[in-house]
Amino acid sequence: MSNASETLARLLASEIRGDLLVLFHRNPGLIDTLDGVARRIGRTAATIEQDVNDLINLGVLKTRVFGKSQALLLDRERDREILETVAAHIKDTREGETL
Amino acid sequence: MSISGGKTSHSEFGQLLGGRVGEGARVKTGIMELDEMLRGGFMEGDAVLLAGSAGTGKTTLALQYLVTGITRFGEPGIYVTFEELPDQIYRDAKNFGWDLRSLEEANKFKLVCTSPNLLLESGTQTILDEVIKELPAKRIAIDSLSHLAMYVQENQLRQEAYRLVRHLKTRELSSLLLWEVNQTGGSSFSVTEIGLSFLVDCIVVLKQIEIESSLRKAILIQKMRGSDHDKRLREFEITPGGFKIESAFSEYEGLMTGSGRKVASEKFVELFRGASGKTKSR
Repeated sequence: MSNASETLARLLASEIRGDLLVLFHRNPGLIDTLDGVARRIGRTAATIEQDVNDLINLGVLKTRVFGKSQALLLDRERDREILETVAAHIKDTREGETL
Repeated sequence: MSISGGKTSHSEFGQLLGGRVGEGARVKTGIMELDEMLRGGFMEGDAVLLAGSAGTGKTTLALQYLVTGITRFGEPGIYVTFEELPDQIYRDAKNFGWDLRSLEEANKFKLVCTSPNLLLESGTQTILDEVIKELPAKRIAIDSLSHLAMYVQENQLRQEAYRLVRHLKTRELSSLLLWEVNQTGGSSFSVTEIGLSFLVDCIVVLKQIEIESSLRKAILIQKMRGSDHDKRLREFEITPGGFKIESAFSEYEGLMTGSGRKVASEKFVELFRGASGKTKSR
């Protein structure tokens, strides 16, 4: 499996991860705690923690510490790179299917 | 800075402190009638409390203040929201012809969505510092201070609000702090029950008023530290282009109770007109 298809699979590995991606892409100015992010997609911090960590490892999300709290935010540059790679991969796959 | 005889003059200290001492420069809202009411605009660097019940137009006025600041006066702005998600704000703003996404792409505007407890965190780097580092803003709107009340105890709210106001002033931001008040029909009106009024420099009140069985909207400058201002309640409308302020409600009294009635002289004039009409028709 190529890097791009692996990334795509990891991005869409769960419904929660999909919800998180939609939330941060529609609201790129969102800077919130794990609890705050969870509340915005109607879940609890415990249920989204694993998916958030995976998105941090992928580089889509990053963390910042303010006082005693840790905040989550979209890593716009890394996110753009990932999206471009995935888009190129989807395009190649479609072109391969047509041929 | 020139130092003559080892002494630094007051004005030089002013320059050193960012040229803000004793200046009284105005921050225009861009809404002509409101700027007239404010005698030229808000005072630069002031904290302004924008109070009103739900649906009175606080968010619209705050967005217009920021967008006009960017497009007409070249002053970048930040909008901080606690509850409403940015995509909803982008959409609503577009209905007024304000393309916030384009302004963000041009690095003139930033829409920050966060939780009040995160905004209140005070470390070496605050969330506002992080945002200001990327965008050297002159104006900021915080929607809303009422949400802070959900995260801090009532006896600490004033202290936390004070800390926030001081933080904004230190960063030389002219701020609009939105405050939602409960407005129940017929009751008297108080801006805040927890004593925020003295923390801010200016209070603008948006209010719904019942007149002759229809709801109308009024704006009032309740307080403006260090400046004269219009003391009258003036009617306003939210048009497709934003705020439009009309004339004062000169024919009505008791408007602050939420239910206005015609002043006695007006009633007399109407009675007189009615009577004179009947005489003529005979």
